[in-house]
Amino acid sequence: MWMANSRSSSGARRLAFVCFAFLLAVLFLFPGQIQGLLQYLDGPVGHIVRVPLEAIAAIDAGIADRWQQYVAVQGVWEENQQLRKEIEWLRGQNSQLRESASATERLAALLQFKEQALPPMIAAQVIGRDVTNRYRAIILNKGESDGIKPDMGVITPVGVVGRVVKTTGASSVVLLVTDPNNAIAGLIQRTRDEGIVEGTPQGSAQLKYIPLLSTLRDGDRVVTSGLVGGFPRGLAIGTITRIDKPEGALFQSAELLPEVDAGRVEEVLVIQASYGQVPKAVGETGLPGKPSP
Amino acid sequence: MKFILYLILVLLLVPVQTTLLTHLSVWNIKPDLGFVAAALVGIFAGEMEGLLAGLAIGWLLSLFSAGDLWSSLLINGGVGLLAGFLGRQVSQVTSISLGVGLLLASLASGLFAVARFKNFDLSQMWWMVESIILPQACFDGAVGAGLYWLLSQRFEVTRLRTE
Repeated sequence: MWMANSRSSSGARRLAFVCFAFLLAVLFLFPGQIQGLLQYLDGPVGHIVRVPLEAIAAIDAGIADRWQQYVAVQGVWEENQQLRKEIEWLRGQNSQLRESASATERLAALLQFKEQALPPMIAAQVIGRDVTNRYRAIILNKGESDGIKPDMGVITPVGVVGRVVKTTGASSVVLLVTDPNNAIAGLIQRTRDEGIVEGTPQGSAQLKYIPLLSTLRDGDRVVTSGLVGGFPRGLAIGTITRIDKPEGALFQSAELLPEVDAGRVEEVLVIQASYGQVPKAVGETGLPGKPSP
Repeated sequence: MKFILYLILVLLLVPVQTTLLTHLSVWNIKPDLGFVAAALVGIFAGEMEGLLAGLAIGWLLSLFSAGDLWSSLLINGGVGLLAGFLGRQVSQVTSISLGVGLLLASLASGLFAVARFKNFDLSQMWWMVESIILPQACFDGAVGAGLYWLLSQRFEVTRLRTE
């Protein structure tokens, strides 16, 4: 390697420092305007970046599939046996739940409850993780052009995944329920006490601001309350594993084991409208609760 | 030609950082390739190109992160500019010195980012620093040193230097 002496570079150096100082000043003085200006470019740039991103994500998924099919077959027989046992147990549970559901339907009809339809949803694929280590977020292969907007809720059939925080034309960033910057209104299913579910730096979640008189216990399930944010009521968030009741505190808090293992999520559903905004959205996209292709 | 090279670099950084590096992460920590790339451009091409490449990398990567735009612009643009400036002042840049420099710069940028997190108490901040920021800084330093060594061994790369 050789080096080039450069005497005439002091002008460029000064210019670089002036540009950086100017940028700093503009960013501090007009953060909103700069953000708005760059948002015009986000859409087309998102479409351009989507090409290499999806290509590499497809190769990555292909390799992962091959690995699962041909190499990682060890322990499949044991797993199969275990799954068979689980299916048997779940069949029993299923028949009991059907019984309960039909009873609930009868009672709901008797009391003339309004049916809670699921809002329309968009199916999307996970194509990456947050570029930094400081946030727990996933990247989806659908964005503004597919109808995804910030603050929409993201779920899987198992439970809540997180919330959309950023979109480009062809992709969106979802902040996971385990990120400390995320907050979702939650409800303890058994006691009906409400709280706020927040992530922790360690990657789990906690339910905060539970009333002191609540009789919660380990193993209680926490679901969305449907009051705030892009989630309808009753979607599973997690299970309580530990309760904190500090002396003199005004509220209790509890540690949660999230229902969805975000590290293994591959496909998700983005909720287009929260409960209460359903009728308009249903009219636009068709059947409620059915993911659009 | 140079512009196309930078364009390819910036466009490839996104899928590599978001998709491929996830598999190469150690204890769920992956290096920040955008940060390293901005520093290397600064070292080899000077302050102005370091700054511009850093800003472009920062903007594009911020589209795929939950973090805010301005800190990404500031960190990546700043490291490109700083690497360009310091690289010009030092007569002999080695992989070790670059690695240590990147480690310190990454540590400083990480601390800056964590200090801006709201609702974090001191214990949570400390956990972030020892479990995420410090390992990532070490990772960034090692990757930067390795890439610099590779580039200086394999290619005839010109580095600008003040006389």
